[in-house]
Amino acid sequence: MTVGTPNSSKRLKRISYAKYGYLFSLPFILAYLIFSLYPTIYTAILGFTDCEGIGNTDWNILEGDVFANFKWVLQNELFKKTIKNTIVIWILNFIPQITMALILTAWFTSRRNELKGKGAFKVIFYMPNIITAASVAMLFFTLFQYPAGPVNDLLTRFNILDKPYNFHADTTASQLVVAFIQFLTWYGNTMIVLISGVLGISPDIFEAADIDGANGVQTFFKITIPNLKTVLLYTLVTSLVGGLNMFDIPQLYNQGGPDNSTRTSSVFIRDLAFSNEFLYNRAAAASMIIFLIIAACSAVLFYIMRDKDEAMRKKEIKAAKKASKLRGGMEW
Amino acid sequence: MVKNKYSKRGSSPLFLTVAYITCIILAIISLFPFVILIINSTRTSVEVQQNPVSLIPGTNLFKNLEFLDGKNNFDPLKGFTNSLIISVSSTILTIYFSTMTAFALVAYDWRLRKPFFTFIMAVLMIPAQVTGIGFFQFMYKIGLTNNYLALILPAIAAPTVVFFMRQYMIPALPMDILHSARIDGAGEFRIFNQIVLPMMKPAMATQAIFAFVTSWNNLFMPMILINDPEKNTMPMMVSLLRGDIYKTEFGAVYLGLFLTVLPVLVVYFLLSKHIIAGVALGGVKE
Amino acid sequence: MKMKKVLCGLAAMTMLFTSTACGKEKDDKVTINLMAFTEEVPGMVQKYLDTHPDFAKKYKVKTTVKATDNGAYQDALDLALANNNSDSPDMYCAEAAFILKYSQGDLSKYAATYEELGIEDVEGKIKDAEIAQYSVDLGTRDGKVVALGYQATGGAFIYRRSLAKDVLGTDDPATVAEAIGAGTNSWDKFFDVAEDMSGKGYAMLSGDGDLWHAVENSSSQGWVVDNKLTIDPKRENFLDLSKELYDNGYINGTTDWQEGWFNDMKDAGPKKVFGFFGPAWLINYTIAKNCDGTAVGEGTYGDWAVCPPPVGFFWGGTWLLANKDASDEKKKAIGEIIEWITLDATKDGLQYMWANGTYDPEAPTKDCVASAKVMAMSDGKLDFLGGQNMFDVFVPANEYANGKNLTQYDEKFNKAFRDQVTQYVEGKKSRSEAIEEFKKSVKSTTKVEVD
Repeated sequence: MTVGTPNSSKRLKRISYAKYGYLFSLPFILAYLIFSLYPTIYTAILGFTDCEGIGNTDWNILEGDVFANFKWVLQNELFKKTIKNTIVIWILNFIPQITMALILTAWFTSRRNELKGKGAFKVIFYMPNIITAASVAMLFFTLFQYPAGPVNDLLTRFNILDKPYNFHADTTASQLVVAFIQFLTWYGNTMIVLISGVLGISPDIFEAADIDGANGVQTFFKITIPNLKTVLLYTLVTSLVGGLNMFDIPQLYNQGGPDNSTRTSSVFIRDLAFSNEFLYNRAAAASMIIFLIIAACSAVLFYIMRDKDEAMRKKEIKAAKKASKLRGGMEW
Repeated sequence: MVKNKYSKRGSSPLFLTVAYITCIILAIISLFPFVILIINSTRTSVEVQQNPVSLIPGTNLFKNLEFLDGKNNFDPLKGFTNSLIISVSSTILTIYFSTMTAFALVAYDWRLRKPFFTFIMAVLMIPAQVTGIGFFQFMYKIGLTNNYLALILPAIAAPTVVFFMRQYMIPALPMDILHSARIDGAGEFRIFNQIVLPMMKPAMATQAIFAFVTSWNNLFMPMILINDPEKNTMPMMVSLLRGDIYKTEFGAVYLGLFLTVLPVLVVYFLLSKHIIAGVALGGVKE
Repeated sequence: MKMKKVLCGLAAMTMLFTSTACGKEKDDKVTINLMAFTEEVPGMVQKYLDTHPDFAKKYKVKTTVKATDNGAYQDALDLALANNNSDSPDMYCAEAAFILKYSQGDLSKYAATYEELGIEDVEGKIKDAEIAQYSVDLGTRDGKVVALGYQATGGAFIYRRSLAKDVLGTDDPATVAEAIGAGTNSWDKFFDVAEDMSGKGYAMLSGDGDLWHAVENSSSQGWVVDNKLTIDPKRENFLDLSKELYDNGYINGTTDWQEGWFNDMKDAGPKKVFGFFGPAWLINYTIAKNCDGTAVGEGTYGDWAVCPPPVGFFWGGTWLLANKDASDEKKKAIGEIIEWITLDATKDGLQYMWANGTYDPEAPTKDCVASAKVMAMSDGKLDFLGGQNMFDVFVPANEYANGKNLTQYDEKFNKAFRDQVTQYVEGKKSRSEAIEEFKKSVKSTTKVEVD
């Protein structure tokens, strides 16, 4: 370590570094306050009001039972069903998605295997994420059409089915298809996030593993995965949030049908808020309930994957502080 | 994942077969929507209606182009420009300020750091569907409708990107580098721009693609905020092509969709090098 | 730093484009904001400007078109109307599926009456032009007209001549009408013919959706009466009709606006299909385009005819409205345009061009218009219908059509109901379970009361 010249130490002394924490967060905080926090609080408040009807600016906090909207939502059978749908579809899509993404990450980041065309595959796998989800959903809806659709044509031509099957009327089939579209549009995205996470791991660690004679599988489970934990947490949380807010694919695949089997909670909320109803207050209450559910799930995730790095970082900063205090007494 | 069980150098044939088959199947499925998009944009509306999925191109590409050209609200160049302004600006803002915020979270010890991070985690989870109501009403109130600022400025605060950058930065950014830079007399702002940003390149490229794609494909917000046809974005124009469900020109719609996706593909291919090359943090080593 | 360069390059390009995009010349014309969900009405307004140069000197029109996808048009229009400012639409359009919301429902407060637009003697003009009554009913708020259309969308049965000859022995519209029980308000005879068709290996209809519009419209009550969900016996009966069609193989099982349905228009389905229920636009925009031919003898072109349906119905249509908050000057100008489109029954009016296929010389399609008087002066003969004059059938059809059982919930409830019908027909649910599930959907997504 180089020791600072007396001159620079003097300058450093006068600087309080904490202020940079505030300064560098300021743009985010300002933009957030203006463009997100205000609308969010506004929405939260709406949940306790009588605000209904288009262009309604004249609303009041509910008299009597302030939680009436929340109670209505919680007693709503369809709402319960939509939560169940959302979770089922999310799990159906997320488990294959994260598995596939992890496998691909292992293959593509390993320095040992001789897989050719890694680059091309990586580029291709992300591509479905580029097209609007709307187009992909519409395409799959067309594929499964009844009685004459490409899938039905194929299945009957090869005698797998003796007559066309109405996939669009089958609740399980529809949930599976929606989950598959979700998988298709997001597995590449997840893979890229994971790969970039692996690239963020210091190469020294891998070199050390190499020297110790670890094989590919060992390296992946013992080195890659533990070091990837923070990025994995990111993937889990964003996918959970994204999945529980899943909207455009189920909406555009079959408008939540058949028999409400692909109606997710976001489709439900939007239907309340727009789609001729304008029950803003109940929609707001429903979204707050969803928020609580997501928050609870994420809290569990965070607990499971506690951020030990953060604790370490703190120690590091403390140690650096101490060291610098010893050296020149500058403040952090 | 059977690799390297048999030999230390080189992969087993079984592993290679499984890997190639998996990758090829995935590649076919992933490219499939694009193929359909391209083929259908060469077919007539009736052909598409009666047989939406075909691998044989039609001969109607130029008619479809002409049709697009004839629509007075469809101006690909204008839509492209408008979308580009919005997407490029919001991508730059998102990436730059999210990295900066992450840096503030990782590198400095300030009293509100922990609460601030918890706050970001919390807002990340708020469902977007309904906060929209508040957002529109606010934009109308302050007169930012028909103004791209309403679509661009919110990009400064992207909680998910901050979260990603922070997670990426924690293992990737050693404190002693900052310290030595400080001792060399570098200002904090310069440290951020000249040392931190380059180190974050793989993460930035990744998130830049995501941000660009999200912004480019965003239809819901512009649809409600933009009223002036001069300011329509590319996806808005394409959605208008579908306008009349009773006589939709499907061939032209697919062509429109393809034209929409084309610029994103270009940006993606440009940025994808950074992901593939995998700049493995030269700065980490001392 | 390559990425930075790329981004900078893009940014620079962006700037360049922006600067060239600006710089429009100024003029002192009054701008009328028009909001529509298709290019149709904007095209008509442009036509008005083109044919009325004096008017075009004083006014110009700024058009916003938004597609009706997922309610995007309504969301945008609602907000634009509610936030009354200089960008708010002065003139706007509504489709049959949601006209009631703007003419009588929650948003009717923004609509100006046609009188306020300076159109004199609206009632007299409606009578004189013989505008279809249902379209007036839908556009009337508290006895005053606020919206009118230019199309008449009364429906008919559009059938295949060759199949009629084969099964009924003749393709004469009058005889076919008699056979399917036209105007009887009952489906009995229609199903008898379906059985005969089935005997010869034909399907009566393409899918049960084809029947729905007719059933929906023939019911005496709408979905909601006094804020209570009401399932009219005729609509409930659709469950049974649909089941009968399905179980007996009277349909090919298609869904309207999907691949199989289009294929049935050119005999590409599993069975040949006898006919479709629909208004005149269905012939021009859909069946003719999908018949696999453009002249008699090609595909099914020329092998079609129309006759009155067993129960009257209408389907679709566009209504024109004006914003009551527009300035008086604008209102008067909009009044002139709207009158030309909706009430002018002379040969100079829009409807005459629309009915005779002279509106767009490049794509001459004839369509039914709102004014029966105009149709009487026009020629509705179509080669596609084997030379039949379609107005002979569609003019009376407009009288059958009934606008009184519509509600602003229709689009949503129809979808939910038909979804459950499919569940029942496919045998995935019992009849009562299907009805229960429908009620549950309504109760869970609206404020409508359900027993």
